[in-house]
Amino acid sequence: MARLTMQQAVVEGIAEEMRRDPGVFIMGLDIGRFGGPLNSCKGLWEEFGAARVIDTPISEGGIVGAGVGAALMGKRPIVDIMFLEYLSLVLQQLGCDAGAMHYYSDGRARVPLVVRAKFGVGPYHGHAYDYHAWVAHLPGIKVAMPSNACDAKGMIKAAIRDDNPVLFLEHMGLYHGAREEMPAGDAVVPLGRARVVREGRHATVAAIGAMVRRALLAAETLAKEGIETEVLDLRCTVPLDRAAILASVAKTGRLVVVTEAMKFCGAGAEISALAAEEGFGSLKAPIQRVAAPNVPIPFARNLEKLIIPDENAVAAAVRRAMVA
Amino acid sequence: MAAGKEDRIALHRLMLVTRELDRVIGAADGHWHPALGEEGVVAGCYYGLLEGDALVPHYRGMIAACYARGGDLRRLLAGLDGRATSYSRGRYRSDVCGPIELGIIGLYSGALGPTLEYAAGAALAAKLDAKGAVAVAVFGDGTASRGNFHEAVNLAAVLKLPAVFVCQNNQIAISTPAQGEHGGRIVDRAAGFGIPGQLVDGNDVVAVHAAVQGAVARARRGEGPSLIDALTYRVGGHMAADPGAYRSAEEVEQWKQRDPIALHEQRLLAEGLLDAARAAALREAVAAEVGAAMKAAQSDPLPGPDVLGLDRVFAEA
Repeated sequence: MARLTMQQAVVEGIAEEMRRDPGVFIMGLDIGRFGGPLNSCKGLWEEFGAARVIDTPISEGGIVGAGVGAALMGKRPIVDIMFLEYLSLVLQQLGCDAGAMHYYSDGRARVPLVVRAKFGVGPYHGHAYDYHAWVAHLPGIKVAMPSNACDAKGMIKAAIRDDNPVLFLEHMGLYHGAREEMPAGDAVVPLGRARVVREGRHATVAAIGAMVRRALLAAETLAKEGIETEVLDLRCTVPLDRAAILASVAKTGRLVVVTEAMKFCGAGAEISALAAEEGFGSLKAPIQRVAAPNVPIPFARNLEKLIIPDENAVAAAVRRAMVA
Repeated sequence: MAAGKEDRIALHRLMLVTRELDRVIGAADGHWHPALGEEGVVAGCYYGLLEGDALVPHYRGMIAACYARGGDLRRLLAGLDGRATSYSRGRYRSDVCGPIELGIIGLYSGALGPTLEYAAGAALAAKLDAKGAVAVAVFGDGTASRGNFHEAVNLAAVLKLPAVFVCQNNQIAISTPAQGEHGGRIVDRAAGFGIPGQLVDGNDVVAVHAAVQGAVARARRGEGPSLIDALTYRVGGHMAADPGAYRSAEEVEQWKQRDPIALHEQRLLAEGLLDAARAAALREAVAAEVGAAMKAAQSDPLPGPDVLGLDRVFAEA
């Protein structure tokens, strides 16, 4: 099997699903001959043609809305909105309406729609905002954020097969990074199942997206200090793998939650609240949150770097939990 | 695309149903949005679509649209206050959202405009299936000020989708008159999208029906979307309880003289398609049907806690 980057893995996952199911199609801005920004759709137009790889006007609300309508009529649309900072332009269609349709129709309406968006502080300056908490708050929509190429392929396949709207987030800092061997065959990674990436008995670090790698780097440093850190890759914030979080907290007694998203009312707050409400008996120390401060992401590279948690911030948080 | 004899009677009947729904529901619920005076657009749009077509109605006329698509009137009316017998079993309101199983995409929130994009998507699905189905979207002149209108129609034009966009133009958005909503005529926007636009007398149900069916036929042939501006007038308030004190009584009175039901009935009588006795019998039959459905719906049970379905928010595979 080929070794693929996250970008290539997502495209390969989409291509496999398009071969498998004629109801799957993709639309977005500049995804045809241009191949999508950062090659997000590279090769799809060449294989599937303009009827199923549809270039659209700059009209995020229009194309996500059209995705909702096509999904209601039985298709499995994928809509590439380029960047997560455009989420505000599609919230009514994706979050408020599409998320409610299955419930409001007493189970008759299904909206198998995937909305892809790139985000994240990384090599590409700008469009970094992680606004996914806006959607995680709304009922009926799933939020997936792979941390590596293998998961990205398996999770996009699961998202396409899912009968619910899924916001699929692709981190630009990971996009053209490490190549990974893809598993053989039709490897689907179910949405809502966290993964223990590194086992440990002293503290749990629950991380997501690009923060997983930083948590692993922190764990290596901490190991040299005799602290055995368990690293949990959440993979999705909706559905949240509550059982995996609680099981790990029960084992280690300490929880550090790491997100690139802003701290106040972010996903980290929900995960912390879960541990406090349902895992309090096992906690030996206060929960620590490592997250970006509530500030618009500054532009200058050095300022940008200051607000995003790095491995040192993660390690420091684990040490705080250990002494508490 | 002229309506035949039976169609003209059916259009009349659907207008009568629309008006009777307003009378009966309005008396029970001050928050009901009546389509009084706009029945020509309601019936002209919703009569005559085929199985497989997607219908995306305006909220003002939603129940009539569902009825026209074969919906059970008692169940539709039971949805007005969320009764267990309604299509959603009480999970959502039927006055703005019809059931998907009738091919209807309703309003799943109070935000007007996104449904036009859903219509474009339904049309895209129809285009991909290539079986000749279309999507018909109806919206108010107020909604036409939204960006959603422009994005939906532009997308449909660019992708040449089998969609028909009909503005149920009652010339007022709650209390804001047309001149406070649009810098120009809605029909003229069609040229900017590069699609056909047609201005039609919304109080002439036969003219509306002919315009819609003409645009539908064009869409079925794969020739792309159309915009129809059906000019009418909201004789009633924004809601049943709205006395409409913000506009002149003379203007309302003038439009009452152009009542779409009276105009069409006179034509049917003049053409001999209806006589006075049959006209009266038709009215009585409609009143009896709507009245019986409403009476039954109002005695239907409210949903039990099992309908709440906290674990039914997501669709299972």
